Amino acid sequence: MKPARRPWLLTATATLICAAFLLPVYWMLNTSLTEPDRILGESPRWIPAPATTENYSAALDDDALLQALFNSLVISSGVVALTLLFGVPLSYALARVRMRGSGTMVLALLVAQLPPSIVLAAPLFILERRAGIDDTYIGLIAADTTLTLPFAVIVLRPVLQGVPRDVEEAALVDGCGLMGVLLRIVLPLMVPGLVAVAGLSFLIGWGEFVFGLTLAQEPSVQPVTVLLNSFVGQHGTAWGALMATATLVCVPVVCVFAIFQRFIVGGLTAGSIKG
Amino acid sequence: MRPPRTAAPHRRTFALRPSRTPSARLRRTGYLFTLPGLAFLALFLAYPLLYNAWTSVHDVGLSGLLGGATRFNGLANYRATVSDPDFWHAARLSVVFTVGSLLFQFTIGFALALLFARPFPLNGLLRSLLLVAWLLPPVVSGTLFRWMLDGESGAYNALLRAIGPDTLARDWLIDPGTSLAGVVFANVWVGVPFNMLLLLVGLHTIDPELHEAAAIDGAGAWQRFRWITLPLIRPVSVTVLLLGLVYTFKVFDLIFVMTGGGPVDATTVLSLYVYEVFFRFFRFGEGAAAGLLLLVVPLLAGIGYVRRLRREEREESAV
Repeated sequence: MKPARRPWLLTATATLICAAFLLPVYWMLNTSLTEPDRILGESPRWIPAPATTENYSAALDDDALLQALFNSLVISSGVVALTLLFGVPLSYALARVRMRGSGTMVLALLVAQLPPSIVLAAPLFILERRAGIDDTYIGLIAADTTLTLPFAVIVLRPVLQGVPRDVEEAALVDGCGLMGVLLRIVLPLMVPGLVAVAGLSFLIGWGEFVFGLTLAQEPSVQPVTVLLNSFVGQHGTAWGALMATATLVCVPVVCVFAIFQRFIVGGLTAGSIKG
Repeated sequence: MRPPRTAAPHRRTFALRPSRTPSARLRRTGYLFTLPGLAFLALFLAYPLLYNAWTSVHDVGLSGLLGGATRFNGLANYRATVSDPDFWHAARLSVVFTVGSLLFQFTIGFALALLFARPFPLNGLLRSLLLVAWLLPPVVSGTLFRWMLDGESGAYNALLRAIGPDTLARDWLIDPGTSLAGVVFANVWVGVPFNMLLLLVGLHTIDPELHEAAAIDGAGAWQRFRWITLPLIRPVSVTVLLLGLVYTFKVFDLIFVMTGGGPVDATTVLSLYVYEVFFRFFRFGEGAAAGLLLLVVPLLAGIGYVRRLRREEREESAV
């Protein structure tokens, strides 16, 4: 597209819109840094002066928060591991091997993304309880992976189809098995796609709420999203500590996004190489 | 992104070179590769959904939870659900929530996409900042908006008092007349970046030469938008709206955190209704029935989406 006539005017417009759009996020940071007794006032304070870390220490004083953050970390990591473990071979076979039923499988994976979490949570609640894996990390990781796995295959399959297959074929002819080809040749080529999928799976696992709410009654396994929600109910007006907690929940999201952003571009480029 | 099907049809898959590759063994390994993932999804996704269907035609009380007495009761749960006025109330709210969200997040997302499709300094950075809003956990967004829309000290009310008459400021989420508008507002905020992103990809696929040629022919900005951009963005728009429909119809966490379905039942959309029937009142059979009814809309949208994908693939291969 030809360069705009007044590019800085566009920049100014876009900056204003972004500022207005991101006001809630700014407000979260602002509130979290404001002294608790100055938060509820007639007119809100737009700048946290004097800034204080009081809200953060109050939030972190609570062992429950640290436990919940740890739980979320375990669950999200488990989701990433399980998604890649199942997703990579599955998408590889669907992208490369001519099998009867692969069309149906791809279709099934698309359909798998449709059910609302609450519809799945209801039967899982009964079944996991019977199997004795409710209130366990395993139960939560498995439930969350039903969200990430179909999605991972939908993303990875085109990436794999974009990898040139001459080298793979040569390796196959030389007697290398499919597993060998996948591990030695394909996997290194699809690192950007893998990181993109891993990053998004982590974010989905980290932000997941419905399964945490319904499948984890015990605080020892509850994810931080569930804890945050119960804070909202309990400390309805302790907005300082609440916003500090919310900010802490966002930290990994922003970190992962910073890494993931670079790779999604790479993943998309890899996916667009013509096979 | 996907290579066109016609690019090299004779070597789309290994197995098509039977002279040199042991295709039967390969195919067996291929099936083996799909096995763990599919088995997992069968166990944790398909089986629970089928079990849900079973539950929906049984009388499953709390005793049934641990495998106790259950009784087949035909369509009684469905009858109970569709004769429950609360169900229809929730269905109506779901429709309003979904239509309202889609309308605003699409329009705003489209406007932003048009803006960000033009090159200007800091374009990439500002776009990434918008995306961060989309990636925040819904529970966090819900908490944020609860605070922003707070009646006394909420920042939005402060802004409203500053720019207009005092009556504009109100307890958005506590007033039954405005709480649904409040959750729609928050959900639009969540949805705008995603809409923008997909529409931006769509806009980038439009050949800039079309615009240039039209401009040379004397077409103004509006005419070019109306006769070039709009028709060419239509397929992407339909996809975006279908995906948006699927996502929006199942929103649970955002509303649950903001209002818990209240005040009274003013924001109890279908997903919250299912939660209440199942997890609060432990009417498992009816909850399962309502859940399956909740599946209908995403399923229809999904069918529409898949059909579009198929058609696009066919068109792609026809090129």
